[in-house]
Amino acid sequence: MLRLQTTYFGELDYSESSVYRFPNGLPGFENEQAFVFLRQPHTEPLMFMQSLANPKLCFILLPILVADAQYQVQLDPEYAGELKLAANCRLRIGEDILCAAILSPGHEDMPEPTVNLMAPVVVNLKERIGMQVIQTNSPYSHRHPLFGPQELVPCS
Amino acid sequence: MRRRAGESFMIGDGIEIEVLEVSGSRVKLGIVAPEMCLIVRKEAKITRETNLTAARAVDQAAITSLLSRLAR
Repeated sequence: MLRLQTTYFGELDYSESSVYRFPNGLPGFENEQAFVFLRQPHTEPLMFMQSLANPKLCFILLPILVADAQYQVQLDPEYAGELKLAANCRLRIGEDILCAAILSPGHEDMPEPTVNLMAPVVVNLKERIGMQVIQTNSPYSHRHPLFGPQELVPCS
Repeated sequence: MRRRAGESFMIGDGIEIEVLEVSGSRVKLGIVAPEMCLIVRKEAKITRETNLTAARAVDQAAITSLLSRLAR
């Protein structure tokens, strides 16, 4: 077993077979090219994408179908090639690929948490290669509110 | 401004944009710009900024708060 230091989860044991390679990193984090995914019963449905190189870097992910049950991912042939996936074949989310949205927890400028549905993280589960697929002309927002608007109760 | 394939236009003195090819709804552009100008698709820039914000805002309190709201 290999051991990994993390800021939010302490020390973790992991095996080489649970490491996912991101050959281009992620936009803004081009040098971060290896991650492990953490899923724990008490943090469902959230997943965590922890950098192997940087203990402090951990993205919170939400499975795309939890964010939007009807979600359709467009995978251009160029992206499919980089992920070693056959272009134009029907990809089953959860079986062939993992597809999840990066979640931004609220912060000062934008207190409500949002998910980036425009650029999901897509992983070829068999090859363990991942990338962030930036969709062009996407009908989805990069700041999709995680929680719907609060229902307003009319004053009576 | 209207331009056809093979025509170009300038932004300031240093940046030239040429329409190389138009086919259907797609346009191929050639860009000549100083080396210091980073040229990226707008959605790539948005994704970069969104990723930086997302990573910066993660902390234990944020995770706890998300889990309690998702459980409702």
